[in-house]
Amino acid sequence: MAPNTKVVYPGQMNSTLVIQSLISGVMMGSVYALLGVGFSLTWGVMKVINVAHAAFGLLATFMAYSLLQAYGVDPVASLAITIPLLYFGGCILYRTLLIRITSAKAVIVSSMILTFGIAIILENGMLLVWGADPRLLTTSYTSKVFVVGPFYFQYPPLIGFVMSIIGVMTIHLFLKRTYVGKAVRAAWQQPEASQLCGINLRRISTITFGLAVATSGAGGVGMGLLYSFEPHSHNLWLIHLFLVVIVGGVGNVLGTALAGLIIGIITGLSMAFLPYQWVNLLTFGLLMIILVVRPQGLFQSEV
Amino acid sequence: MRRSFLWTRIAVVTLVGVCLVFHAHIGHVWASQPIVIGGSLPLTGEFAETGKLIERGMKFWAQEINERGGLLGRPVEFKIYDDESNVGKAVTYAEKAITVDKVDLLFGGYPGTAARAVMPVAEKHKYVYVSMGGHMKSFEQGYTYSFGAPPLMGEWWYEGFFQWMETVPADQRPKKAAVYTMNNPVGASLTGSIQKWTKKLGIEIAIDEKYNLPLPDATPLIMKAKQLNCDMLFANGFFGDGVMMIRAAKALDYNPKVILQGIGSVVPAWIKELGKDGDYVFSGTSLYNKLNFPGNDKLNAFAKKEFQIDGYPLYFGFGYAWMQALAQGVEGSKSLDQTKIRDWLKANKIETIAGPMKFDEKGLPDPINFCTQLINGQVELIWPPNVRTAEPVYPKPAWK
Repeated sequence: MAPNTKVVYPGQMNSTLVIQSLISGVMMGSVYALLGVGFSLTWGVMKVINVAHAAFGLLATFMAYSLLQAYGVDPVASLAITIPLLYFGGCILYRTLLIRITSAKAVIVSSMILTFGIAIILENGMLLVWGADPRLLTTSYTSKVFVVGPFYFQYPPLIGFVMSIIGVMTIHLFLKRTYVGKAVRAAWQQPEASQLCGINLRRISTITFGLAVATSGAGGVGMGLLYSFEPHSHNLWLIHLFLVVIVGGVGNVLGTALAGLIIGIITGLSMAFLPYQWVNLLTFGLLMIILVVRPQGLFQSEV
Repeated sequence: MRRSFLWTRIAVVTLVGVCLVFHAHIGHVWASQPIVIGGSLPLTGEFAETGKLIERGMKFWAQEINERGGLLGRPVEFKIYDDESNVGKAVTYAEKAITVDKVDLLFGGYPGTAARAVMPVAEKHKYVYVSMGGHMKSFEQGYTYSFGAPPLMGEWWYEGFFQWMETVPADQRPKKAAVYTMNNPVGASLTGSIQKWTKKLGIEIAIDEKYNLPLPDATPLIMKAKQLNCDMLFANGFFGDGVMMIRAAKALDYNPKVILQGIGSVVPAWIKELGKDGDYVFSGTSLYNKLNFPGNDKLNAFAKKEFQIDGYPLYFGFGYAWMQALAQGVEGSKSLDQTKIRDWLKANKIETIAGPMKFDEKGLPDPINFCTQLINGQVELIWPPNVRTAEPVYPKPAWK
């Protein structure tokens, strides 16, 4: 090391920096959770691993970008348009393609292959429409901060955090409190018995898949508020999806949310106490440990 | 006897006549036979946008040279494979172009990872390979057929900036630097010159951290730099992490005297997406459309007509410049013999839109030291003085 280098080591960290790192981690983790909820739902409930989930989220991000650029529509407000579109898109996709493989024995593998193809189509479609240049969702509040004592809360991650709480709670309450939500759970816990009770499995599956795809829109916009994005960004997002869903327990909505927060906290703490280059190593090391110790994830499936 | 002699004479004359006609015909065919220049570019996938710009630059060069009568009197044409932004495929297509298509010349690929992987292939088959290379390491492997004309060299990226900083009075220079570098070969290539120059200029490095991509959040990094009163920030990353640093710096109202951003700030999206927040960032380059070397005006005029933009895109220029260098090797050696082309390039000075170049034994020109700064949404050349397009803005104004 050169003599002019006086590097600050983690031991020299002060408490402000540690707490700030934690805040950053929690904000970031919550957005991963929002993006992961729908992914967890289709995987845990329908045994469909929707590899195109992040690509749908990215599509919503690009649509939000275009609406922002062309009409000044706030990315969060754009969800009023993109979420219904994604919902219907998800329903159509289920009815036309996925329904054909849901009765297959190897539905997990089949769904992965099928949705991988859909992800590639979506990526190339986005390349065609928006080009390969990286984009940013720059709003009037992008560089604004909410200061509490020595701590900074940047507006975009804060908004992502709030969106995440609303999104996760909505899905959780939908599954637990509404008739359709209860039917979703019943249909996948006891398919035959639920059909005998009058539950239309095909309709319920369509709603579940549509809903899961719709939540990717909110997650995508949340990610877009935090990070730059380009048509192949969904590949990177997908890695985080697997991380939160596996840690949280497949099919567990609140577990996914908690996993997002746990991963965020670990990332934040590693940023504070370890060299930054170790952060990803630690995070994915954790994933491997969890897979070995608790292959079912930290929390049980809710359905 | 006499009769036999007559027939012999007739036969010889006929044979000579046939040979002359045949030779003339073959000569004509050979002269009109195009010179095929092969290789691959990322025309789809992650680097497609840039790959297509390089292709346009190469084709503009080909159009120009064909209008002038071709190379060695023969027209040129390209055989371009799409490597789908895949390094493995770039290597395969380079092999195919050389061994199956038996192309006359090889053109340079993109990105640096692909160029670096194709360099040993070119060396194995003894084909001249003019490209951006893959930073200094790739030119230190003992290859003799590879040239960087111009190269994209992280090791030289900040040279121009530091040379300019040396002209700033010592008491006005930054005192303390925070260096954040992405943990990959591109990032690593930037750090050597920072260590060397900060020591020379008496700037203390207070933070020297590497991070793996993707960077989860830049807020703690900027907070640490602010807490330690670092008045110089090196954000040695790509676009995504570079943007996060700038946004976090603005959000935390961190105002160092100078911000240097490695690679991300040279892409057009930096200005387009960040707007005014992207201003005043220093960086480096090895080619730019505002350079005053011959050929740049012509390319800019073409860009205005074809793309409706002021100034040709960087990678359009790279595609053109690499072909300029290769063509001078062919014309200088008057041959398509790869070793003769190589030897000529090693022994002679060439002229390109990036300036005159004379190659060393590694195939590199003298270090390129163009320093850039974003001023009012424009990339301006700050250093060296002979190419300066604007006065540098220093220290950086506070965030608005």
